[in-house]
Amino acid sequence: MGGMTGLLMALAVAGALLAVSLKNVLHAIFGLAVTLLAVAGLFVVLGSPFVGTMQVLIYVGGITVAMVFAVMLSTVVQTHQAESPWRRAGAAFVAVGFAVGVGLVIIGAGLPKGLAPALIEDAWSVRQLGTSLLGDYNVVFEVLSVVLLLAIIGAIVISRREEDVVTPAPAAAVEETHP
Amino acid sequence: MSHANLAVATLLAPLIAFFVALVFFRKKHDVAAGIAILGGLVSLVGSVWLLLDPAPAPELITAPWFEVGGIKLAFGALLDGRTLLMGAVVGLITMCVLVYSLGYMKHDPGKGRFFAFLGLFEWAMLSFSYAPNLLQGFIFWELVGLASFLLIGFWYEKPSAVAAAKKAFIMTRIGDVGMFVGLILLFGDVHTLDILEIGNIFAAPGLPEGVSAGRVELLAGLLFLGVMGKSAQFPLHTWLPDAMEGPTPVSALLHSATMVAAGVFLFARFHELFLDAPTMMTIILAIAVFTALISSTMAMAANDMKKILAFSSISQLGFMIIGLAAGSLFAGLFHLMTHALFKALLFLTAGAYIHEFGTNDIVAIGRAGGRKMRVTTLGLFAGGFALAGVPIFAGFWSKEVILGALHGPGAEVFLIGAYAAAFMTAYYTFRMIFLIVLPNTDSKAIVEEPAGSQGGHGPADHGHAHGAPKAPGTMRAPILVLSIGAVIAGLPFFGDAVAGLLGRPHEAHHAAITEMILPVAIVLAGVALAWLDFGGKKAPQRGIVAWFPPLERALKNRWYIDAFYRKTIIRFVNAFAALMYGAETRGFDGAGDALGRGTMKVGVSTAKSHTGRLPIFVGTAVAVLAIVSLSIALG
Amino acid sequence: MNLESFVLLSLVLFTLGLYAVMARRNLIAILIGIELMLNAASLNFMAFNRFLPVEDPTVGQLFVLFIIGLAAAEVAIALSIILVVYRERKRIDVDDITELKG
Repeated sequence: MGGMTGLLMALAVAGALLAVSLKNVLHAIFGLAVTLLAVAGLFVVLGSPFVGTMQVLIYVGGITVAMVFAVMLSTVVQTHQAESPWRRAGAAFVAVGFAVGVGLVIIGAGLPKGLAPALIEDAWSVRQLGTSLLGDYNVVFEVLSVVLLLAIIGAIVISRREEDVVTPAPAAAVEETHP
Repeated sequence: MSHANLAVATLLAPLIAFFVALVFFRKKHDVAAGIAILGGLVSLVGSVWLLLDPAPAPELITAPWFEVGGIKLAFGALLDGRTLLMGAVVGLITMCVLVYSLGYMKHDPGKGRFFAFLGLFEWAMLSFSYAPNLLQGFIFWELVGLASFLLIGFWYEKPSAVAAAKKAFIMTRIGDVGMFVGLILLFGDVHTLDILEIGNIFAAPGLPEGVSAGRVELLAGLLFLGVMGKSAQFPLHTWLPDAMEGPTPVSALLHSATMVAAGVFLFARFHELFLDAPTMMTIILAIAVFTALISSTMAMAANDMKKILAFSSISQLGFMIIGLAAGSLFAGLFHLMTHALFKALLFLTAGAYIHEFGTNDIVAIGRAGGRKMRVTTLGLFAGGFALAGVPIFAGFWSKEVILGALHGPGAEVFLIGAYAAAFMTAYYTFRMIFLIVLPNTDSKAIVEEPAGSQGGHGPADHGHAHGAPKAPGTMRAPILVLSIGAVIAGLPFFGDAVAGLLGRPHEAHHAAITEMILPVAIVLAGVALAWLDFGGKKAPQRGIVAWFPPLERALKNRWYIDAFYRKTIIRFVNAFAALMYGAETRGFDGAGDALGRGTMKVGVSTAKSHTGRLPIFVGTAVAVLAIVSLSIALG
Repeated sequence: MNLESFVLLSLVLFTLGLYAVMARRNLIAILIGIELMLNAASLNFMAFNRFLPVEDPTVGQLFVLFIIGLAAAEVAIALSIILVVYRERKRIDVDDITELKG
């Protein structure tokens, strides 16, 4: 294992640990950003600088920033009360159980060592990626663009202020009909 | 004009007339009537033109409808001898009845609806007659039934009319179920819906490939169930007398001339198939002879003119089926044609009397002066003579052909039955004629329904109470036209033409004079007996059946067949329905309700375990995944 | 540098994400967990794409691109929902949102 790869992996895990454990949500977001950057680095290591760039641009540049904005708009940096230790322990127990189970399955699966033998370097080029994206997988691409459009519209509709909305809030309606 | 255009015009004109009249002019009675008559006229011209200008080979004029599983379905018209003849008969009778109804239904509040329904009926009947495939045939067979239902129940404020309409619909449906099964099986055997093709398959010598003799018998039997229902053959005949609750023009058109003949026509349409089923043909022959016999006996005791004619229709339909079952396509269809003419005529005369005197009772009509209506009485004579089978009148020739077709081993019994029915036909026909034309107030004849007892009709309505009673011109014209038909339609010239059209020229049997002696003698005997009972100056006008009161009661109650059905089948069905109702309301509904209540209880109790907490949901799912993956890894 | 190490790293990231979703109460923190899981999945795709003899190596990369696109959409919706919740309750605690309670 190359030193670079090991470093990136360690960074990713460290960032993730920070992201899930820090009480202050802003700090947690920075931890997430570390992980995202490390993963982007790993993408480059895995031979796809283009996807790595996309990861940085969209995740680190877009999503993380959006989260920070949300935190600022909601002015809730910290939950009022911290999670109870029981809750953390339960979640950790379930998560570790899951990790152990799946990890055993992975180790038992006997994954092949080393790089794939017949690797066509040309197929990894951005040109090839673009051809695939607009060729064979064009429909998926178009559908994704529609999904994004709908998400934007949905986000606008959902986050409109109450007084703009004609229909009553669904949450209130649900509570009233509850037995 | 090409045949295709003519056929399309013939088929669609009544439909358009029905639609326009019903949707736009239901309340504008005269406009609706005019449209219906216009449609009828187009159909009449079209169908007669097609008849007079037949193509050398059967013609198929279709428009594709859809294709499924390699079977192409089309709507259109099949033009061969049988359909051309039937179409022209339908066109002519419908036209006569349409014109007649102008007078008969003049003051009816539902006149527009009536004419629209007549258009519907004509469309369905013509489309059925010309049907090129089984599907179209079946669809319009049922539509004809619907039109019949609507027209029998036309005076829907009369409970008896509603009951009769329902009875007709249900009884014919009993036969239709059998027929539908038969059609499906038939399609499974021959893999085609094309009627012409089916005819050719069965016309070929021997049985079709892959169809056993027993199978053909079964198919014939099932198809005959439909014939039995539609053409009112025993034991499904009881609806037809009740159907007389409809307006008289309807009885003339549907329940004597055309619709009930649809069953016979179906029989003729599949005649090749039936000919391959000799056993079933014998059974059919027996049923037809029996039907002809019992319905003629019922006619001997009835006083209601329309009921007499209804019983007579049943018996004459029996005669048609006798002809077909005896193996002669020509005999059956020729009698269908002549019968359509003279029976429609008789119903129209009956309608004229009823319209004038407000009663269906022949004794009452006679005493009120029925014979003073000259044109109507002339029609009564022409139609009655034809029905009775008096020589040179239409019915004589066609009945002669039927009796001529009944020969061969074992046919003697049926021949005797047919002669007996012919004798009774002559008797009851002349009983009716004598009672109307030669009334005798001193006789013992009993008036069951006095003149004028039917509301809305009667002389007072017409404003010509002075002078001789007289039917309106619109009613007299069709009577005259049909009278001519009833006199001449049976002449050998026409018989030969029809036989040629049907492609059966050899069946136009010209009996020698000596062979005619027996049938003529039998008819004359019937007339003579009727004269003794009803005609002569001192005749008691009570009839021979009155000598045996139990017999008369039985005849008046139609041999108790209706009562028998009420006591057995209907009671059983009602009991079964009640049982099912109980099972439904208490059993199934109860079980369903209990299931619903139980589910709701379970839901309410299990819902408590749903805390609505997202982390718990996720945790549960992940825990299950962990258990699964652990069990895979460790086991 | 081998496939197994990448897959195990992916498992670790995914597990941490799961833990965050289950343990955290702050909605944004839960969202962070979801992002971690998505990244773990992306990493898996890239690793398998690299180390296994696939016919068309663009497929794995395209998957990652699509995941990134969908994550963007998801975050947009999730954040707007979070804003609405905050406006309603002045808090963004997952324990408050129990409308699905039986």
